[in-house]
Amino acid sequence: MDFQSLLNKPFVLLDGSMGIMLQKQGLPLGALPELLNITQPGRITNIHRLYIESGADIIYANTLGANRFKLATSGHTVEEVVSSGISAAKLAAKDTDCLVALDIGPIGQMLQPTGNMSFEEAVEIFGEQVRAGVRAGADVIVLETFSDLGEMRAAVLAAKENSTLPIMCTMTFDKNHRTFTGCSVASMALTLEGLGVDAIGFNCSLGPDDFIPLVEELSSWTKLPIIAKPNAGLPDPASGEFNFSDDRFARCMRELAGVGIKFAGGCCGTTPSTISTVRAALNDVRPIRRNCGKLTAVCSATKAVTIDRVRIIGERINPTGKAKFKQALLRQDIDYILAQAIEQIEAGADILDVNVGMPGIDEKDLMIKCVNAIQGVVDAPLQLDSSDVEVLEAGLRHYHGKAIVNSVNGDLESLQTVLPLVKKYGAAVIGLTLDKNGIPPTALQRFAIAQRILEHAQSLGIARENVFIDCLTLTASAEQEAARETLNAVRMVKEKLGLKTVLGVSNISFGLPNRELINQTFLTLALAHGLDLPIINPNAAGMTGAVRAFHVLYNYDKSATDFIDTYSVSQVENKVDKPEQGIDLQTESLSGAIEKGFKNDTARLTTKLLKSLSPMDVINAHIIPALDRVGEAFDKGQLFLPQLIGAASAAQSAFEVIKVRLSSENAGTVSKGKIVLATVKGDIHDIGKNIVKVLLENYGYTVIDLGRDVDCQAVVDAARWHGADIVGLSALMTTTLKSMEDTIALLHKNNVPAKVMVGGAVLTPEFAKKIGADYYAADARQSIDIAREVIG
Amino acid sequence: MYNRVLYVPKNPPDIDEHEVLRYLGYGKNRPDSTTEQLIKRCTEKLRAEISPRCVYAAFKIKHSGRLALEGCSLILEGQDIADHLINCQIAVLMAVTLSEQADRLIRHATAKNLTKGIVMDACASAAVESVCNQTESMIRSKFSGSFFTERFSPGYGDLPIELQKDFLAVLDAQRTIGLCATQSSILTPRKSVTAVIGVGNMSAAPSKTGCNNCRLRENCSFFKRGEFCGFSKPS
Repeated sequence: MDFQSLLNKPFVLLDGSMGIMLQKQGLPLGALPELLNITQPGRITNIHRLYIESGADIIYANTLGANRFKLATSGHTVEEVVSSGISAAKLAAKDTDCLVALDIGPIGQMLQPTGNMSFEEAVEIFGEQVRAGVRAGADVIVLETFSDLGEMRAAVLAAKENSTLPIMCTMTFDKNHRTFTGCSVASMALTLEGLGVDAIGFNCSLGPDDFIPLVEELSSWTKLPIIAKPNAGLPDPASGEFNFSDDRFARCMRELAGVGIKFAGGCCGTTPSTISTVRAALNDVRPIRRNCGKLTAVCSATKAVTIDRVRIIGERINPTGKAKFKQALLRQDIDYILAQAIEQIEAGADILDVNVGMPGIDEKDLMIKCVNAIQGVVDAPLQLDSSDVEVLEAGLRHYHGKAIVNSVNGDLESLQTVLPLVKKYGAAVIGLTLDKNGIPPTALQRFAIAQRILEHAQSLGIARENVFIDCLTLTASAEQEAARETLNAVRMVKEKLGLKTVLGVSNISFGLPNRELINQTFLTLALAHGLDLPIINPNAAGMTGAVRAFHVLYNYDKSATDFIDTYSVSQVENKVDKPEQGIDLQTESLSGAIEKGFKNDTARLTTKLLKSLSPMDVINAHIIPALDRVGEAFDKGQLFLPQLIGAASAAQSAFEVIKVRLSSENAGTVSKGKIVLATVKGDIHDIGKNIVKVLLENYGYTVIDLGRDVDCQAVVDAARWHGADIVGLSALMTTTLKSMEDTIALLHKNNVPAKVMVGGAVLTPEFAKKIGADYYAADARQSIDIAREVIG
Repeated sequence: MYNRVLYVPKNPPDIDEHEVLRYLGYGKNRPDSTTEQLIKRCTEKLRAEISPRCVYAAFKIKHSGRLALEGCSLILEGQDIADHLINCQIAVLMAVTLSEQADRLIRHATAKNLTKGIVMDACASAAVESVCNQTESMIRSKFSGSFFTERFSPGYGDLPIELQKDFLAVLDAQRTIGLCATQSSILTPRKSVTAVIGVGNMSAAPSKTGCNNCRLRENCSFFKRGEFCGFSKPS
């Protein structure tokens, strides 16, 4: 029997819990059950036999936690534990039709950014398990009990890249239809089906009754066979016994069969008798024919966006023509990019385009960093935008959802390099209607390219609903006749191919006055021609407004609810950009605005002062004295941390104004010196370091923030590359002080001339001295004194 | 005994403004109105979005030699935990987390504006403390007629923080509440707590409490300011 033939059965029976059987036999809590594969394989084989006798078609080998991390101190290798686990199961399955699954669960550490395990590290850890399982002769790979879709993706990629075995995936959901990490049912379905797994579903956490609504929801999002392996209800707090009898469990499994499951088994609290009862209960049940419509949707790990109406793609994460954005990329200032992401979402973007390509940077590395940072903060799905295939692949690999790839075009080389990635990572793709001959002038020619792109995609197994077509906007001032061709092409692609359409809108108005009017009008026309996904600046109120109005007029926004919510009088009043606290710009001083932490007013007053004073005078006579007064008040306990940071953030907005002024005059910088900051390897605390960063920046120092969990070597490299005057290191744990010591030692070994200052709750001045630091900063304010002493 | 018990508080945790202010270094001072409003907004946001979870398990203590627990693979190492659990027959191992959503909210707030990030962080710290208190009173209600020690966490005194991984394994905390530890023994999601509570069945001498008996005293920022962390009542 193989997996495919098993699917011909009406239902496939899985086993029940291994853990409960071992606990009943006295396994202490906290012990690794997988070690029994080596010490008492006979016990494991016997339990498997009981499940096979109860009717299981697939048994899960006792390998759930057999990974490098969990086995670290066990004295056994992954290879030993996995191969003995598979052997014990195969022995039980000998001479039966039962298949043996390599069972893989979560590693036990969280991925970045909440934890510090990198995605590739996770892929490698899972890969080791998969290779061992394949060598030992597993028939199928089961990935179960996952709660983080990112980690699940790492496991699926490891399985795909190290084997050709069928893959079954189950995640653990709560009653609110979310996992612990916030993954939604739709996101799980879209992402895993995209990756090409063979069955998906749920295990653990809930009883089979609570699985019913989960399976119903899942069924509407996927065509894949569905797995249900619920707990035997909930455990009684006193006795630990689960509250579902076998009969009750089996009755619920019948109901689950009625909503579309294919695989039925049990998790915590279920036993061989549970499985045989389920087997009997499903005997006379016919599987239902599921009816899954073709949805076009993309998703992050936490949110799916269905393209059943116009969805706005925010275009602002892109350095083209943006000096500040370019500077942020050069400094690797991820916070700046995050702020852009949040701003666009708040303005109404549904999806965010991410483009970090510019000369002089490592685009691939930056794409990975941005994808990781953005998905750690916002829910909106991402559109990965690069002309470099390697960058696209890096982004796709690290994105824990179903992304849009921007873009492929009708040229054969592009089709052959980009589309396989779209297929492998289960993304959607934008096809540009151009090829090596350029952009054809007529709608008909562009339609032909769209057709070619679609055919090529389908030949690789990419579903047509995952191909979006961009008919390309040309500049109206240069090629006035082209606008209508674009609009006609949009209509043709939409009506004749039935594909979703994308259009970057803002290009239309280059070179014309009142660009917003042209953009808004063109957008409205394009929407009427069938545009689904406008790529626009959502911060331009007229553009998002046009989409909202379109939704009302085309009857998508029922009863104009969203529109009224956005534009009713009280809402608009709330959003007007008022001076903070209504201060009087005529009489208020810049230092006063900084001390009160008013960002906008600080920027306005700085602009005003720059009319009569030089930038250095503004800094030395207004900004620094204000910060000093706030700092002194903080030292005396008259002001507190939020106000200190508030003042620093306000001062930052003054510096922004000054920087723009200086760069427009080519007048150099106001930087007093360079400081590299990092939270050391292994440590993921960063609030303290961030406070130090903001304060230092506001005293005119250039800060290169390497983030947290930073390798010793990366600190050395950055200090050298930037010619840092000071390296600031932070560690918050006794367990990570060693990393701090190692980093300082490496700096010294490499003769990096920068002075080293250290800080963090567990540090003492004595310890700082002992590990070779030049300075110990007891708090953020002291780092300013140190910088003044070292740099001036 | 020996069973893991999952506890999901029905209501969002109360977040005590005084606690938040204490984390922000205000001591007994009142905040300005901007900060006060910010604390209110962060508190509301957290209460609306986090889903705190707790898991605990009770074990009989084996007092012979190293501090071992019946039916449990974990050894509680160090003199301080032995002192703490003196006269106790049962040790309750508990783990509490605010969930990953709290980390996400803090990251989101920080990306918008650092002040908000700091306040959100302080509110989350107060929230996890509040969930710990809820969990602790729930545990107390399960053992009537007993005395209870304060909570004692890995990393306090000479109870090694490196125990976190094994501690979580006993509670199967990743599966039950989504809680892990990094290789440096930092709990993730970040706003989480693990602790041991001793349970005794007679009016024996209470364990040592207060700042003077706390091994963290030398590095404690509260103690340095003449304040108190709120964990164990000053003696």
